[in-house]
Amino acid sequence: MSTRNTTLAVAVLLVAAVTTGCGGAVTTASNAKASGVYTQIAGLPKDQQRAKAKELAKKEGSTLSLYTSMTADIATPVADAFEKKYGIHVNVFRGNSETVLQRAMQEAQAGKAGADAVETNFLEMTALSDNKILAAFNGSALGKVEPTGKFRYWTASRFNVFQPAWNTDLIKPGQEPHSWEDLALPKYKGKVTLEVSDSDWFENVTKYWLDHGKSQAEVDQLWKQIAANAKVAKGHTTMMQFLTAGQTPMEAMNYTYITDRAAEKGAPVTHLPKSGKSSIPAFGRPNGVGMIKNAQHPAAAWLFYDWLLTDGQKELVKLGLTPSTKVPGDKSLTGITLVPFDVKGLSKDDGSWDKKYDALLRGVASVGK
Amino acid sequence: MTLATTTTRDDGAGPAPAPQPPEVTRPGRLVRLLRRPLSLQGLLVGGAVIIVGYLAVVPLGYLIHDTFLSADGNGVSFGAFSRAYGGNSQSGEMMLNSLWFAVGAAALALVLGTSLAYIQVRTDTPFKALFFAASLVPLIVPGILYATSWIFLGDPSSGLLNALVFKPLFGSTPINIYSVWGMIWVQGLHLAPVAFLLMVAAFRAMDPSLEESAAMSGASRITVLRRVTVPLLRPAMISAALLMFVQSLESFEVPGLLGLQNGIYVFTSRIYFVLRAYPVDYGAAGAYAIGLLVIAAAGVLLSAWLQRSSRNFQTVTGKAFRPRPVELGRARPFVGAGVILYFLLTVVLPVAVLVYASLLKYYAAPTHKTLSQMTLANYRQVLNMPLAFTALKNSLIVGLGAATAVMLLTSIVSWVVLRTKAPGRRALDLLAFTPIVIPGLVLGLALSFVYLRMPLPIYGTLLILLVSYCTRYLPYGMRYASSAMAQMSPELEESAAVSGASWFQTFRRVVLPLMSGGILAGWVYILVVSFRELSSTILLYSPGKEVLSVLIWEQFENGQFTTLAALGVLMVVLLVVLVSVAYRLGARFGLQNDSAN
Repeated sequence: MSTRNTTLAVAVLLVAAVTTGCGGAVTTASNAKASGVYTQIAGLPKDQQRAKAKELAKKEGSTLSLYTSMTADIATPVADAFEKKYGIHVNVFRGNSETVLQRAMQEAQAGKAGADAVETNFLEMTALSDNKILAAFNGSALGKVEPTGKFRYWTASRFNVFQPAWNTDLIKPGQEPHSWEDLALPKYKGKVTLEVSDSDWFENVTKYWLDHGKSQAEVDQLWKQIAANAKVAKGHTTMMQFLTAGQTPMEAMNYTYITDRAAEKGAPVTHLPKSGKSSIPAFGRPNGVGMIKNAQHPAAAWLFYDWLLTDGQKELVKLGLTPSTKVPGDKSLTGITLVPFDVKGLSKDDGSWDKKYDALLRGVASVGK
Repeated sequence: MTLATTTTRDDGAGPAPAPQPPEVTRPGRLVRLLRRPLSLQGLLVGGAVIIVGYLAVVPLGYLIHDTFLSADGNGVSFGAFSRAYGGNSQSGEMMLNSLWFAVGAAALALVLGTSLAYIQVRTDTPFKALFFAASLVPLIVPGILYATSWIFLGDPSSGLLNALVFKPLFGSTPINIYSVWGMIWVQGLHLAPVAFLLMVAAFRAMDPSLEESAAMSGASRITVLRRVTVPLLRPAMISAALLMFVQSLESFEVPGLLGLQNGIYVFTSRIYFVLRAYPVDYGAAGAYAIGLLVIAAAGVLLSAWLQRSSRNFQTVTGKAFRPRPVELGRARPFVGAGVILYFLLTVVLPVAVLVYASLLKYYAAPTHKTLSQMTLANYRQVLNMPLAFTALKNSLIVGLGAATAVMLLTSIVSWVVLRTKAPGRRALDLLAFTPIVIPGLVLGLALSFVYLRMPLPIYGTLLILLVSYCTRYLPYGMRYASSAMAQMSPELEESAAVSGASWFQTFRRVVLPLMSGGILAGWVYILVVSFRELSSTILLYSPGKEVLSVLIWEQFENGQFTTLAALGVLMVVLLVVLVSVAYRLGARFGLQNDSAN
């Protein structure tokens, strides 16, 4: 009998403990002061902005909330380096780019911004910007960024470079692809893997082909052949696991930094032919940083934005990423033929490329445009 | 006989010590309880019903709102359905793939889980200790790791089973994991523990004297099984089949990793596609989820119909019984070998792949070179992760909290559904089942929508994860609790009430202890699976409040399959220890029950 009483008591206690023990809510009061801080910093001469932001960030309590889709092995050293420089503690929310967007949007709609700064992929940054969730930045750090990396409410901090990748045990030297068109060759039948969400790559290659003299019919034919050569997988890192393990011989597209990092660990994978120089046009997709309009720590957000485009760039290079500014010692683009990423075509995209790519993978006729 | 007992059950002895006048026969017990709303039992029952209803209604309301609201923001529209199912969506083929996959996986898991449970509880089989691991490990290993292990084992060209077993022995490579059969196999093995846990509880609560008398009367062992044992277990089997069928329909890990390769698309592939595109077409995602909901609702109604003559299944009655193991006799070595084989297939092989991978720098098939380079670096890395202990603590808090809260709530609610004639009890049962089909991300969005607008400190804390897990595992708790309740004859409660026990006393001292097997099974299930819930967690967690599944996901995103494997191995060890402690405690509890009978 006593056991039962004890069990019940323990159960009740457990629920109570959980209920109280989970406390420590984020304070979510809407912050109208944020825009004031942004205006104040923006109004100063460029050489005084950073000092003012430092001063204000201290008053805010020296913390920063960052939402990012950088993988943890990148986000953690980046946050640590920023913390070391300014003594501002960074709380990092990590999710995939869709999650970062969803969460920031949900919070913005409820008027309770949880993030101060956001760092994520092109498409999601564009969506945040279109939804008027971001505040404008005019610091001196912008001077170093190429015009192609500047957007109205956000700035590119790094590039994800699109290239095929292959297992060198299974695709011997001389057998590698030398153009995107090569992926359609009959010798790669059953050897290619396509990633289920790579519609931005699909759009860029299609546009590149159309701009370089191919007709729509030729382009359609090539894609059909590539799809016929291919299997489909989900997730770039998952694909890389199977590539390093030799389960799959070749990936139509992976980000070069993922391939490079696997190769660094000794895996037999690469995105460069034996010559060390790839002739495959490489699209560099900008991933960028932005400040949230109603941020609770706007000055810290400003400092992070500024830092990521200056000192932070060196950190990104150390981690093997492709920075958006020129950084000495950056070898991430060695042997790569970079071509412009189609920012315009994808900015005004309404999801139609997603649908077309999905139809291609399923081998059905695409409906509408 | 049925008629007479049904009447007794409906308006039988009430909770009050003094028999009530017959005026209350129609509304039944619930109303009598609620007529005194401030009493302890009134509060408990009313509170549980309200909480369960609330948990289920929030995501469902959000889903329905997004699905049926037309694009201009006012008025009802069915446009989402034509976007989801029309055009080139191949929805017919996907529906068939989904059903085939789900039915196959549920059937495989049901057969495996039930046979294992029978062997475990009712026979004198050797190696009983192995069942414990076989019932838990596939549950603990995150789906993504389990499926990946099977890819390394069953790939048609380079899989270890083909390369090391079939090729040298038979000269062929018959195993292809990238087929619907492969998907059914992996999903079925992964789900078998759900059936096993439910069926063990059911077998334990079954009076073997019925089978014995059948055998005495000359029935063969097969006939006994077919005509007595299986029919008696119908509520638990139907519950298990329903749960596993819907869970297979709703899961994405196996179809995502195995099915996509050869273009086998299922419902959830579509939901995944719709939810990751921008702008997100929540309407279309909702339309798919509602498609699943319709199928699941049909399942719930079918199971309620199959259990309509509830008296037939009640095996826990006022008579004492003590299950006596069936002597296997000459079959014993064969059954033992079967147990070993099953253990090898579901536990040893996948875990061995994980242990092997966890010792490598990057995964490669075993060769002399890879074997010589093995290292413990991955384990060191896991233990050095700054967040590992915070995440473990948070996972434990939320997992234990959700398991306990859900089982307490569903024990009460299943009592309302099965023991009262309250109007709307079927609807309540159905409502409590709906969260199972709501995509995790939609649940996450619904919860953040609600709690961002609520002045309570829930958003941004662990509490929101607790709410999310309670919602997500509500259907499982309901099935475990109500199949345990269905086996119990109301005469025990009635005699308690006649002897002067209050409702609360009866519930606490009679109902709960008799259901304890089912409740413990559900509790273990929820605790274990909550450790790997990710789809809603990823949207709802907050920095500093990470749980283990977030860490696992991060390792996965980092491309650290080998570190992830190390984390998976550690999780298996930890949860096996935790659950064996729970069983140890449960066994003491159970022993007391037997003597109380």
